[in-house]
Formats: sequence, structure tokens, C-alpha cells
Amino acid sequence: MSDTDTIRTTATGTLLTREARAAGRRGAPAWLRPGAWLSTVITFVIAAILWQIVALANPYVIPALNDIGASLVEDAGMYWANFLTTLLEVVVGAASGILAGFLVAVVMAEFRIIERAVMPLVVIVMVTPIVAIAPALVVAFGFGMVPKFIVTALVVFFPMLVNALAGLRDVDPRALDVFHTLHASRWETFRELRLPGSLPYVFAGLRIALPMAVVGAAVAEFVAAGQQAGLGSLVTTSAAQANLAVTWGAITLLALLGVLLIVLLAVVRKRVLWWSDGDVNAR
Amino acid sequence: MMAAGAGVEVRGVSKSFGVDGKRVTVLDDISLTIGMGEFVSVIGPSGSGKSTLLKVVAGLLDADSGSVTIDGEPVREASRKKNIGLVPQSPALLPWKTVLENVRLPVQINRAANGKRQLRDPEELLRTFGLGHAIHKHPGQLSGGMQQRAAIARAFAFDPAIMLMDEPFSALDEMNRDLQRIALLDFWQSNRKAVMFVTHSVPEAIMLSDRVVVMSAHPGRIADVIDIDLPRPRDEDAYATDAFRDIEAIVRRSLRAQMEQVHV
Repeated sequence: MSDTDTIRTTATGTLLTREARAAGRRGAPAWLRPGAWLSTVITFVIAAILWQIVALANPYVIPALNDIGASLVEDAGMYWANFLTTLLEVVVGAASGILAGFLVAVVMAEFRIIERAVMPLVVIVMVTPIVAIAPALVVAFGFGMVPKFIVTALVVFFPMLVNALAGLRDVDPRALDVFHTLHASRWETFRELRLPGSLPYVFAGLRIALPMAVVGAAVAEFVAAGQQAGLGSLVTTSAAQANLAVTWGAITLLALLGVLLIVLLAVVRKRVLWWSDGDVNAR
Repeated sequence: MMAAGAGVEVRGVSKSFGVDGKRVTVLDDISLTIGMGEFVSVIGPSGSGKSTLLKVVAGLLDADSGSVTIDGEPVREASRKKNIGLVPQSPALLPWKTVLENVRLPVQINRAANGKRQLRDPEELLRTFGLGHAIHKHPGQLSGGMQQRAAIARAFAFDPAIMLMDEPFSALDEMNRDLQRIALLDFWQSNRKAVMFVTHSVPEAIMLSDRVVVMSAHPGRIADVIDIDLPRPRDEDAYATDAFRDIEAIVRRSLRAQMEQVHV
């Protein structure tokens, strides 16, 4: 039993409350509290156990986790080289897609006629499956890096454009009134009001766009496989050879890449958008 | 008679919305003058066009007919010279800037119009408004009342010729409203700008103003202009005086008459 504090019952039971208060007394940060990550870890452990059960019973369906691990360690050099290739495609494509998406959004936000003229075309390209576009790009640009850059850029461009446009438009109308009475120029209104206000939307768009860039890179590599470059092509070539361990090893690294991007984004977001998280005092 | 170049001169302003066949006349031939240093409240039932009138004077809407001059110039000129201080219905502070940066903003925008004006020290101004402790805080850390006070400070900071306030205290609770009214009066006493103040509250209109303009709805017209000859400076005690109560009765009667017309 704890000290004289009354133990409040919560929906999750008294255990959490005691631990939470104990952690709070020690001044531990929120995410160190067992309550914050315990359920997640337990879920992962259960998933891993289930995987192993299925893998050991059906070795030709999925490989055991230890086999995947062994492959990753033994061929670390090969995995690393392919990882870097995919990473490069994602970084270059994402950077171009973000820049282009944002610029087009700015132009559309300032000049409605451009939006009216161009948006239908944008929507059509956006709904065309990237899986279908990728082979066409390979025919046009060959088996090198170019089609991969284009695919990842396209995949990032659309969410960026749509979200940035929404963000640039969603200004506080009362603030806009104040700017209007001050006779602020278009540029001043953009710089001081629209641009900072659009950032929450931009980050929301990136949260979707960056993992999708990984998908785009992998898809482009599937189509241009045979180059032995990138995790996606590693998946297709090792799958063709029924090498399950390497196939899943590459898949694991693709997932890791996606997670890395999301974590990086969250860190940057916390620094840039501290004011938009509802709890301003947490800065 | 008001001298030429009086604070705000509204002449025969009309404004309607909607398509032909379904036009709603929100303002019908409105004429009003607010002299330099005069505090005028505009009160009326919903739909009487008070906010629309304020927006036309602020240059946010164009009138269909008639004219508005501020300090003798058309509204567009007044806006270009940063002679209009707008306090909107919600504080509309920028959440990513500190309170101080927010109050500084009007000076940094449209610098060409800064010219020879008497710029106030923003920190000093915030202290006068009782926001000295909030200078480096962000709007998200302030209560609604404090935010609204900061918004008023922002409007005073660049020394405009006129102030336009659109129900700035509507979202506050009664006690807060009382405090804010007195604070505003205190400040305005020594910074007498022409003020057009839109409100729903009769006591508020009377406490603050030199004149109360009562509007009627459908179509929006000026029904009554009531002089408030209560002595200044005014404080909370004024509410309880007989003089105040008498004027309140007059204004309420006028307002009720306008509201009854709506239900005819």
C-alpha cells in the first residue's frame, strides 16, 4: 500500500494511478511511465509470439524471426547499401515534392483562377494509381534513379498541395479583417498570417506523405528491378528466388525507414508547432 | 455642427445582400457622424445591421450607395494611412507570436504609413492595460478577457484616428465585462479617439458612450440617437445612480420598440 494518499480508482485500475503518481513524484517524464508504453510492448510481444508460431509451423509461408534477424546481421553490408539507395530516393523525391507542392499551393491560394484551372488536372493525376504510372516512367526515363525520384516526388506533391492550400486558406477571418484595415500588402498578409497558419496543415500532410514516399520508392523499384538497387528491388529479386528471410529482411527495413521518417517529423513538429498543440504551457 | 474632417462621417449609406428577387436590405440610408474624441455606441436587435455598418466604416465591405469619410478622407485612404483601429469580435491574436509581438505587429505592417505618428511604447501600453505580466506570454496562455484586452492594446498601439469595436466584450462573463469596460474608459479618458462601439448590452452602451445610436431591423435604419449626458470620468458607481437608471429606461424603451416592430 502506498502512503497516506487515498488511492483513486480510475477506469484502468488503481495500479496505474499509484505508478503514475510515483513517477510524477520522482519527476520522471511522461513517456517513462510504465502505463504509457506497457500496453504497446505487450501487443508487440504477443504479435511476435503469434508470428513465430505460424512461422515455425509453416516455414514456406513466413520465415521465423530469428532467421530474419540472422539474415540482417550476416548481410548487413548489402542491406545497408540498398537501404541508402531507397533513402536517397525518398529524400530527394520528398524534398522536391514538398517544395513543388507548397509553391503551387501558394500560387493557387493567391490566384483563385489558377486553382480553378489547374485543380481538376491535379485531381486526375492524383487518383491515377502510382503503380500504373511507374512503368510508363521507366520506359521514358530508363532504369536509373530518375523515374524513382519522379515517383516519390509525385506521391509527396499531392498531399502537400492539398493540405498546404487548405492551410493557407484557413486563416482567422477576424485577423484577416485587422490586416485589411491596416492596408497590409498581399505579401505581408502571406508572410505574417497565412504562412505560419498553414504549418499545422503542412505537417499533417507530411505525416501522410512521407510514409507514402517510401511506398512510392518501393513501387518504382519493383518496376525497375534487376538493377539490384534499393530495398524494393531486393524484395522482388529475393521473392523471385523464394528467399523468405531476405524478402522479409528488406520489408522490415522498409518499415523501419517509414518509422524513422515519422519520428523525425514528430521531433521537428514539436519544435516548430509548439504553439498549435493546445497545451502552450508545455513549451 | 461638426467641423469638416470630423472623426467618422456616414452619409446615406445603403447596403443590401442577396440576388435580385431575394434582396435583403441590411442598411437603409444610414447617416451618422462621430466627432473627434467622441464615443458612440451602436445598439440594436439582431439583423439591424450594426456589424454591417461597422464593416462598411472599416472598409471591409463596400456600401451600395452613400459615402463614408474618416478624418475627411474616403475609407480606403484612411486605411492606407493606418487611421483605423479595429477591435474585432474575437481577439484574433496570432498564436505563434508573444503578446508583445502581437501588439507591435500593426506598426511593422504597412510601414510606409508610420510617418509622423506618435508611436506608443508597446510594453508601456501593455502595462497600462494590466498586461505587464503577460508581455512575453503567448495568447494561448491568456484568458479570454486578457486576450481581448491585448487586442484593444494592439488597436491603440499605432495611434489611429478612429477606433472601431465590434462587440469586443461579448464573449466575456459579466464580471469580466465590467472590469474591461472600466479599463477601456480609463485608458480612453487620456487618449480620446473617436470610437464606434457596437454592442448588445444597454448598460455597456450607456456607461461607455457620449451618444447611443439605436438601430431597427428589416431594413436596418437609425431609429433613435440618445445623448448620454452623464458626467465623466465614470466608474462602477455610475451604474447605480438615478441618472443612469433614467437613461437606461429611455434606451430600453427605444430598443424594445424596435424589437417589437420585428415581430409585427
